[in-house]
Amino acid sequence: MKRLFAFTLCFTALIGLSNAQSPVNLYGRNAQGNVGVVAAAKPEASQVGVDILKKGGNAVDAAIATAFALGVLEPNASGVGGGGFMAIKLANMNEAVIIDFRESAPAAAKADMYAIGADGKVVNAANVVGGLAVGVPGEVAGLLYGLDKYGSKKLTRAQIIQPAIDWAKKGIPVTVNLSKIITDELVKINKFPAGAKIYTKDGLPYEIGDSIKNPDLAATLELIARQGKDGFYKGDIAGKMVAAVKDAGGILSAADLATYEPKIRKPITGTYRGYTIFSTPPASSGGAHVIQILNILENFDVAKLGDGTPAALHLWGEAMKLAFADRAKYMADTDFVKVPLTGLTHKAYAMSLAASIDPDKPMPSVQAGDPGRFESGSTTSLSVMDKNGNMVAITKSINYFFGSGVVVPGTGIIMNNHMDDFVPKAGSANSIEPGKRPLSSMSPTLVLDPNGKPFMTIGSPGATRIIGAVAGVISNVVDHKMPIQQAVMAPRFFRMQAGDYNLEGRVSINTRNALEKMGHKVMVRGDWDAFFGGVHAVTYDARTKTLSGGADPRRDGQAAAY
Amino acid sequence: MKRLALFFAFSLAALATAWAQPAAFAEKPALVTAIGQSADFEMVKVLLTRGKIPFTAEPLVKAQGLTPAAKTLVLVAGGSSKGLGAAGISIEAESERAKALLARAKELKMKIITVHLGGSARRGPLSDGFIQQCLAASDYAIVVAEGDGDGLFSKTAAERKFELTKVDKISLVGAPLTAAFK
Repeated sequence: MKRLFAFTLCFTALIGLSNAQSPVNLYGRNAQGNVGVVAAAKPEASQVGVDILKKGGNAVDAAIATAFALGVLEPNASGVGGGGFMAIKLANMNEAVIIDFRESAPAAAKADMYAIGADGKVVNAANVVGGLAVGVPGEVAGLLYGLDKYGSKKLTRAQIIQPAIDWAKKGIPVTVNLSKIITDELVKINKFPAGAKIYTKDGLPYEIGDSIKNPDLAATLELIARQGKDGFYKGDIAGKMVAAVKDAGGILSAADLATYEPKIRKPITGTYRGYTIFSTPPASSGGAHVIQILNILENFDVAKLGDGTPAALHLWGEAMKLAFADRAKYMADTDFVKVPLTGLTHKAYAMSLAASIDPDKPMPSVQAGDPGRFESGSTTSLSVMDKNGNMVAITKSINYFFGSGVVVPGTGIIMNNHMDDFVPKAGSANSIEPGKRPLSSMSPTLVLDPNGKPFMTIGSPGATRIIGAVAGVISNVVDHKMPIQQAVMAPRFFRMQAGDYNLEGRVSINTRNALEKMGHKVMVRGDWDAFFGGVHAVTYDARTKTLSGGADPRRDGQAAAY
Repeated sequence: MKRLALFFAFSLAALATAWAQPAAFAEKPALVTAIGQSADFEMVKVLLTRGKIPFTAEPLVKAQGLTPAAKTLVLVAGGSSKGLGAAGISIEAESERAKALLARAKELKMKIITVHLGGSARRGPLSDGFIQQCLAASDYAIVVAEGDGDGLFSKTAAERKFELTKVDKISLVGAPLTAAFK
């Protein structure tokens, strides 16, 4: 009887264990290598990049193969129906280059294209769900431009895209993360039959352990592999996109697609304690404000303040408050609006802002617009470095999880909802204009060490939190000398110019109490909260000639090395 | 041999508890609401549609919105801060709505079925208060087993003497839910 009792107890315990909520797996997310390292939001995608390096590709080849694969493996966050930014610095380049493949507003778009309700919001969330939310997608044009211009030429376009095609045919694993996202977005997915057909089982979410095949997307990618950019922006696929967006109430035209071009931009450049930082210029606000925040911090001994102390988090909170006040006032697409980028990233300006910070109490909130509404957290970012000193960071997105919800029948393409990143009425620097690119926070960033050698590639999803996440991880490495994985995993914190100071749950209770006592209004979020982004970064240790990839457990991040 | 027999008897009893299914007792049509505003609400709508159960779906229905036209109240239990935020309703206000709604349903002699789909991810401080409110008024409950790891559903069902059906996957909720309707 005793044995039976013991058996029953074990049996029950085993069932309990197998049914327990999957905890965040904190181990083995990082990877080290001497030839090349890829850090991305899915382990399978990072492996795609490493396999390309093994075939003789350079960091650009690997990054672009990883980017196409992520569009399949993490379909909720990015894909060929979206856009983004890519930072590249090859070993033989003196300065980095930024490929801006952000979506643009269709030619028929107008500042007053959305009806605004009495509550000040867009009626029926038309800028978020459905055809009117769709901007002209830039991902295919941007990635292929990067491949043609900066790839090794040792591998064909077809070889670069093939792993993504294989995953679309084979089926992607439904993780805890993906299952939850599909469940949360089920209303939107079920609203569009072509999306429901792919991403649900007859209207219900796929469950953990299932796999999702997307043969239509495989066929679309095969066409892109064969025909290049024209396979996507002209002909059959383009016609289907225009029809699907129109059916969903949108205004995308064949001409919008046929004329889309990525923009090649000079990076925003700054320094932090001797390290050179190349980051993303407008239409992203991210790079300028990453540098602005770091410039403010440079006026303080951050290392001495300590990691996660009340004094350190107070300083960070105030620096972010100042930067976001400027973001709300000045930032927009520089092709349409003059933005004082030089001033925003100037050391003297940062010094004047730093002087306004009281070490003992928070300054009153600065009210300036409502930039908190820009972008959802459902972007993705990847980083690659190789032994030759080539560096790439890509951040790309379809905006909200599953974008506008509009899935183009017969193609597997999920269309973005980046029109939501414009201010939906006239009178703002970021109001809608035909061809204009909406304001972004995406900040793929490259860092050189004080000797001018490759040091770090980094980026993150997370909407406005991208700026805090990227600046924070850079500071963790530079100021607190953390290895990259530790820097990625450290508790995060974020605030804008007004509203609560958001702390990840693992921030010390003593720090939280001290911040509240100083006058900060604190909101404590989850212990590992995807709200704070998902940083993927690679660092290079010149002394040991070792590349290290850091990946974020707040997502399904995993680095892979060679 | 005796031990083996005991073990099988125990296992059968455990299985019977886990897969208890009452005879059809609920009248049609149903009214479905979300107690805690989780996204699981959408899944229950899909399951009822698949089961051809006539229903209306009102995630924020209030007590005064209940009429004798609906015979059975289906509660989708579980809290979501995102859902509550999107609905512009506080935890306290949602709890008050649930309290009044359940009292009114009792007055109207409606049958009440609680469905919990979200597993352990839809448990915890935010969800558990809503779940307990639902179970305290239920005539029947269906739960994806992983959500009953601590026995909250089993214990409450045993104490309040209503049937509880536990299933392994969300897709398996449809059968007992449909079978509950006459």
